[in-house]
Amino acid sequence: MDISFNIGGEAGQGIDTIGDLLTQVFVQAGFYTFTIKDFESRIRGGYNFTQIRVSDKPIHASVDHVDVIIALSKDAIVGQRDRLTKGGVIMFDEGIEFDDLEACHFSAPLEKTAREVGGNIKMMNAAALGAVLSVINFPFSLAEEALSDIFGRKGEKIVQGNVDVAKALYELTKSNFTGTCNYNLETLKKGPCRDKLLLTGNKALALGAIAANVKWISSYPMSPSTSAFQDIVEYAHKLKIGTIQTEDEIASLGMTIGASYAGARSMVTTSGGGFSLMVESLGLAAMTETPVVIYNAQRPGPSTGLPTRTEQADLLFMTFASQGEFPRIILAPKDPIEGFDVATRAFNLADKFQIPVMILGDQYFSDSAMNIPRIDVSDVRRDYGKIAKAGPDSEYKRYLLTEDGISPRAFPGDEGKTIVSSGNVHREDGHITEDSELRNLMVQKFMNKIPAIMAEMKPPTVYGKEKAETTLLTWGSTWGAANEAMETLASSGVSINQLHFSDVYPLRTVKLRDVFAASKQVISVEQNITSQFAQLVKMQTGLEITQYINKYDGRPMTPGWIISELKEAGLV
Amino acid sequence: MITQEMLRDPQKVTWCTGCGNFGILAALKKAVIELDRPIHEIVLTSGIGCSSKIPHYIGGVNSIHTLHGRPIPIATGIHLANTGLDVIVHTGDGDCLAEGLGHFVHAARRNVNLAVFIHNNGVNGLTKGQFSPSAPRGYISKTSPPPPGAPMDPVNPMAQAITAGATFAARGFSGDQNGLVNLMVKAIRHKGFAVVDILQPCVTWNHILTWKYYNEHTYSLQENGHDVTDKIQALAKAMENGARYPTGVFYNVERPDLASGIALPEKGALKDHITDLKDVQKIIDDLML
Repeated sequence: MDISFNIGGEAGQGIDTIGDLLTQVFVQAGFYTFTIKDFESRIRGGYNFTQIRVSDKPIHASVDHVDVIIALSKDAIVGQRDRLTKGGVIMFDEGIEFDDLEACHFSAPLEKTAREVGGNIKMMNAAALGAVLSVINFPFSLAEEALSDIFGRKGEKIVQGNVDVAKALYELTKSNFTGTCNYNLETLKKGPCRDKLLLTGNKALALGAIAANVKWISSYPMSPSTSAFQDIVEYAHKLKIGTIQTEDEIASLGMTIGASYAGARSMVTTSGGGFSLMVESLGLAAMTETPVVIYNAQRPGPSTGLPTRTEQADLLFMTFASQGEFPRIILAPKDPIEGFDVATRAFNLADKFQIPVMILGDQYFSDSAMNIPRIDVSDVRRDYGKIAKAGPDSEYKRYLLTEDGISPRAFPGDEGKTIVSSGNVHREDGHITEDSELRNLMVQKFMNKIPAIMAEMKPPTVYGKEKAETTLLTWGSTWGAANEAMETLASSGVSINQLHFSDVYPLRTVKLRDVFAASKQVISVEQNITSQFAQLVKMQTGLEITQYINKYDGRPMTPGWIISELKEAGLV
Repeated sequence: MITQEMLRDPQKVTWCTGCGNFGILAALKKAVIELDRPIHEIVLTSGIGCSSKIPHYIGGVNSIHTLHGRPIPIATGIHLANTGLDVIVHTGDGDCLAEGLGHFVHAARRNVNLAVFIHNNGVNGLTKGQFSPSAPRGYISKTSPPPPGAPMDPVNPMAQAITAGATFAARGFSGDQNGLVNLMVKAIRHKGFAVVDILQPCVTWNHILTWKYYNEHTYSLQENGHDVTDKIQALAKAMENGARYPTGVFYNVERPDLASGIALPEKGALKDHITDLKDVQKIIDDLML
């Protein structure tokens, strides 16, 4: 079973609530789900959709085709009909005026049933659900069980109302829908999936940050990063996390540096435009060796670009942002599971090396949701790095020169120590200097951290066969689509594997060289036009990638798109 | 107790001979002593410029010397991470009233518990004497772009502070040690956003706003009857920005400060608070379908 649902309509019509309900029913019934959100930068109106893919096998990407469309507006019928599979269904409320009817169309009394049977127009979600499940012949008993799990906390009346409305539409559709649908799930039993934690990338990242003991976050709202900030703010009072919405992104990172200098684990969330404003402060964090975690949820640029869409075009900007030279780490989680781990690691790495650690996500990572296994936080480790011994020490020097370049931290308020920091070149005691020898020593101090940083970077992972003629080179969120494309091709006999980086900078090169030696062709697959990761690889290793697959329309890659691009270019 | 010996300059001062900053440094040291607080609970932050080198000329005090115009956000972060600290911002007119003006206004609006000392001399000294945002209209600088003379009115830091929501606004003069020390101590002890606009000559570049000029053009608010709780009266005094400069406290009221609206722990500093992983597990488990 592998079905794709598309729920479309205007912003504000409740696409998300229908989508959430549908997803939850399938999760409860034991299936894998993967949801993407496609929306415009506006508060009301327009045309937006949520697309949910459901499968009895693990899935990590969206697909191009749609099997069932639930349209809440005329645009949602017209906008998706070309993507409808043969035997698919477009369902919409009878209130929508639409004359160009085809056999695949089904006009249903969603709103009317919600009002008359449930007594509440909000139950239109359940009505849509009932109709959808009916056209695919999904056993209603499974849905009923799921609905009672979902609405159970709201009381028996709500559960019953929703079940009644769903059931009414389920039955009505059974007798009225004359079209055919590809899917007949009449004999379906509970699915094999036991993963009940439904998370977006941003939510997973936020949970990782709170597990890592983040104590300060100051941000300015910017799509698609905003929900990560909100997800942390939601728990601020309960867990005691200082949060503030600042006047701009300059203040966001400034406050974060201040809080971290004072001893609190601190972060900012932003997108590329906001990070542009933070660049000067990034240099201050580096020069003062103040640990900070910066999350950039990328969107297409330059400038305002496409605010609610996806791209991976800030990689080189993040890698080289700021004047001067200093160590930094960039991590790009591939999915929500990794998002949680990356967030907890980011704080440990920032503290351990006293450097900025940047997490590079994108709208696809941020807003896509999948059900994952329960996260067990007992695996979370908090490593605050080198901290100076407690007690008075009149000789304490914040920038003590050490072999590994890392000086023990102390914090204002620590009795008997003076903590002096500066964005100017400074002496070991933190006071400023223009001495050439000290300048050299302080620059070398930065660089002395790099071997230990490299040892903490996870090497890339090879997916598929260890050796293949063709290798797809990916990083960050495009992993899922490329992975499925690779597996599909491999199963049809193509000799192909995938080399994926989640820790993107500094670059681990050993495995990269092995794969380059073993494969006949390495093809970079990136959500940008200039293959930035491939450029980074060449710059750091001299290894040249000559085949590229690029997408830069702001819409996520799908396995099908990658396969057709590869075929079109004659690469597979 | 803090002694002058503890505060001795950690390095050689680089200001010009006769610089107004010497008076501010001397007053800061006296204020730190008069505060009678443990020295490790004081933090200086500064921006960029001659003013902002001050943390390097006072020993034994925690400090972070930051970016041009940005010391206030950094100080805000320090304060909220540990509200037990006294956080002082040293900034200049070129620092705070140019690149930093937005942060200044928003910090005042938030009434964040900081003491901000603006070393105000009307010029960007360290970059060779360009007019700063507080230079009067028509002020001629050889290093600022033509036409000669600042073609705009100056920023009025007192009026900005008062209208934006600062709960303590005062003006001092680097040549009046006793008065300045008194204002600094009051500002640091004030719970809320406290600003002291400190008039100081730049002896190298500014030949209009000189020691003599300030001595002749300043008068004391407190000696001439002024209600520091009256916002309109305070603003009227702040607008006297030209022929005569009032000094002393313009405005001093109590309002809820920023920290009271942030999710800080009831006891102890935010920086020492540890999120219990059991609470995080519960949050995750509650999200499970």
